[in-house]
Amino acid sequence: MNAPLTMLWLTPLAGAAVCAFLGSRARYGALFFSMLFAGLVAGVACGQSSGGVLSVVNELGPVWAYGISYRLSADSLSIGLIALTAFLNLICVAASWELEVPAGYWACFMALASALTGVFLARDLFFFYVFWEATLIPMFFIIGLWGSSNRLHAAVKFFLFTFAGSVFMLLALLALVSAHHRMTGVWTWDLAALDASNLGSAAPLVFWGLVLGFAVKIPMFPLHTWLPDAHTEAPAAGSVMLAGVMLKMGVYGLLRVALPLFPTLSFDALPILGGLAAFSTIYGALCAMAQTDLKRMIAYSSIAHLGFCLLGVLSRTSQGLTGGTLQLINHGLTTGALFLMVGFLYERAHKRGLSDFGDLATRAPYLAFFFGFSTLASIGLPGLNGFVGEFMALSGALSVLPILAFAGVLGVTLAAAYALPAFQAVFWAPAGPGSVSGKVTDLNLRERAVLWALSLLMLWIGLAPRPWLAYFEPALRGLVR
Amino acid sequence: MTVIPMGPQAALAAGVLGALSLGLMRKPPALALRALAVASVAGAMLLAVCSATGGYASAIVLTDSKSIGWQYLIYLGALPLALWLDGEDDVLVVLFLGATLGMSLLAAASNLPMLFIALEFMSLPAYLLVARSRPGTRGLEAAIKYFFAGGVAGALFMLGLSLYYADTRSLAASMDLTPLGQAGAGLMAAAALFKLGAFPLNWWLPDAYEAAAPEVSGFLSTAMKSAAVLFLMRLCELAPSAGFIAFLPAVGAVTALAGAVMALRQERLQRLFAFSSVSNAGLLIIGVGAWAASGRSSEGVSALLFFLGAYAFMSNGTFAFIKHSGLETRTQLKGRGAAMPAAAAAFTILLFSLGGIPPTGGFMAKLLLLWRAVDADLYWPAAAGAVSALISLAYYLGMTRELWLEAPHGPEPKPGPGAPLVIACAVGVVLLGAAPWLMSSLSGALTR
Repeated sequence: MNAPLTMLWLTPLAGAAVCAFLGSRARYGALFFSMLFAGLVAGVACGQSSGGVLSVVNELGPVWAYGISYRLSADSLSIGLIALTAFLNLICVAASWELEVPAGYWACFMALASALTGVFLARDLFFFYVFWEATLIPMFFIIGLWGSSNRLHAAVKFFLFTFAGSVFMLLALLALVSAHHRMTGVWTWDLAALDASNLGSAAPLVFWGLVLGFAVKIPMFPLHTWLPDAHTEAPAAGSVMLAGVMLKMGVYGLLRVALPLFPTLSFDALPILGGLAAFSTIYGALCAMAQTDLKRMIAYSSIAHLGFCLLGVLSRTSQGLTGGTLQLINHGLTTGALFLMVGFLYERAHKRGLSDFGDLATRAPYLAFFFGFSTLASIGLPGLNGFVGEFMALSGALSVLPILAFAGVLGVTLAAAYALPAFQAVFWAPAGPGSVSGKVTDLNLRERAVLWALSLLMLWIGLAPRPWLAYFEPALRGLVR
Repeated sequence: MTVIPMGPQAALAAGVLGALSLGLMRKPPALALRALAVASVAGAMLLAVCSATGGYASAIVLTDSKSIGWQYLIYLGALPLALWLDGEDDVLVVLFLGATLGMSLLAAASNLPMLFIALEFMSLPAYLLVARSRPGTRGLEAAIKYFFAGGVAGALFMLGLSLYYADTRSLAASMDLTPLGQAGAGLMAAAALFKLGAFPLNWWLPDAYEAAAPEVSGFLSTAMKSAAVLFLMRLCELAPSAGFIAFLPAVGAVTALAGAVMALRQERLQRLFAFSSVSNAGLLIIGVGAWAASGRSSEGVSALLFFLGAYAFMSNGTFAFIKHSGLETRTQLKGRGAAMPAAAAAFTILLFSLGGIPPTGGFMAKLLLLWRAVDADLYWPAAAGAVSALISLAYYLGMTRELWLEAPHGPEPKPGPGAPLVIACAVGVVLLGAAPWLMSSLSGALTR
């Protein structure tokens, strides 16, 4: 193949187009193209790591008007996140298999996977922005068309919030490109060629413009208010993609664009950004504790988990960066699994309140097992994936600003304080008077297979994190301060 | 290739005369009139392509790159209306071709009296077009309002022209202006801003766009707007030292914000898109200001050309959807996506494009225009333009939500013909957005 990276984002897009015309058989198209996409990602990943050395795959196109050029590149960070996208996309297709949904549902998921892949591949900031915004359109329809009761409000809120953030990001990019042109006489949007030192006194404005765009997406307190609504109202698979991959775009943007372009400024901003990240971990956990809706609780827990990722990444130490990045993958797996299971519950009983269930462990032992497993992974039990990421991210933060690490540890403790009682209330406590546990049947083979895939990965990362950390390390080496 | 000076204008004039002659018959043949309308516009476009290779200039007309580029825009904006005209009413065909001829003359005018003649030539048929396109008194009222606004604009221009002449003793470009000439240039610019619908000179515009048939509103908001933008640019060229140029970015910023805010609460679709057109006019005025501030760079010209070209697709497409679907209000829009999936999907793409969401032509257009403003150090107008795009997203997204996500309400609409036009416009904006290389070669060819 001459253009493997272009194929990576075009394959799901072709899948979306095909699905749109397949009518009631669209799920087969989605399955085929998801598997093809996952296979391609695996192929690129294997080709990349041949001979024990990780190489960066580049694809450079011609330069068009205003220095816009088609350039894709894949280092281990990109491929890792694309692999997460492909894997979760396949999981989503499998998990939604029996839903009565029109062809558009499958087409939206494939289009979303394509745009996300483009975000992780693009090295031209123009294309980066285009892919970044293009993710909003399929997700808008996924939430708005197939979400639960308050979906219209959530869809519009989600779109407007993230768009507002990215408008500032775009203005910052424009200023960056214009400043480069003024200094060198060359128009370029190439991330590798741009140099923020051309900006002079406008540099802080541009930096904060970029950070604003990324922080809305992460989401960092106080820009998180769109998240609980969007995650709660989206269909189960939509929440998986939203929490599993779309939140990662924000941290990825920091790692790929903001930190390399503004090494000094981003370090100077550590007290503010790190403080907000640490606060997010505590705030997200406290909010999760107060929820009576299982899905909303998991949504708030995402804010807390992304706070850990941010703490690690912002510390700019080797273990913090790799741990924070690994935690991106971990959160995608564990939260993805939890959202799926809440979705399975909701499909069966059309309820998802903590008090709507009870005694489910005897009725649905498989569900109880997987839910317990994922909960433990999520709160960072040693031996499972969450522990590795959180431990490394916090130890990275500890070596730079200890106070932030202490706040983070408080967040970890609080995680157990909301997740375990919720698990207990739904699965072990006796069923209350209004309980709908009677409607819940145990997981079928397909659902178990999906959750096995996720759980085994959690266990693998937890027991043998070394290869995973080693995989991400080369891409992050340049960011270590 | 031999260049025929004023070839496109001759083709349109021939069309006008042909339609008038056909109108003499007891029962004018509808098919022939339709064919004449389409052939005149298409012929003018073709002749403009031919004249793109050579420049021609006289005391009153010229064919420079801007003149050719804007003629493309005008014919592109006019073509959908030519396709809609049913030919039953021969007067409509004459009025339409007459207005297009006026715009075309405006694109070629090289001195002030010629600009004035062209301005009147395009405006007079446009008033009647608004009045006649839809039966009833509303159209008449709007046309009279439009006529008075146009009359004020014409009078301002005439007054400005005489002051300018009194100062410079010249009807062509002049560098040095005394306060008298400055006042003259300012008055002439006010006439152009009137035509563009700059805030607060936009009071006539929503009424005219709402009362006219949707396809006529599409014509006015694309071809007429393109002509008005060029009108403003010609004034900047003729009086490069005029004081009004410094105010253009601020005027544009206020217009962009005011249009977007006023569109928020509109219930009737045509009125909503009229205010959206005001908001877009604001962006264009920022663009003209940035172009003038950066020494009238060719990049500024291509940004304006690209914006107007993309807008020709977006606005004509949205008004074509209103015509095709027969839906008049946002409430009627609710849940109607499923009843006409192809046209509604195309309309959705057009809405996203108008909202400036990539990968569409509308995004590229806004990006290029605001980039020019950032590059000319017009940070505040650029930020205001971005904020207006953000505000406008509330109603573009709101309409998408109503169309697809809400439950149907009221009687089932009966879609008319015209779906292919909506789809063609949507394909146009997707091509413009997904292909920066298309833009680079196109604008490169036009501004050579």
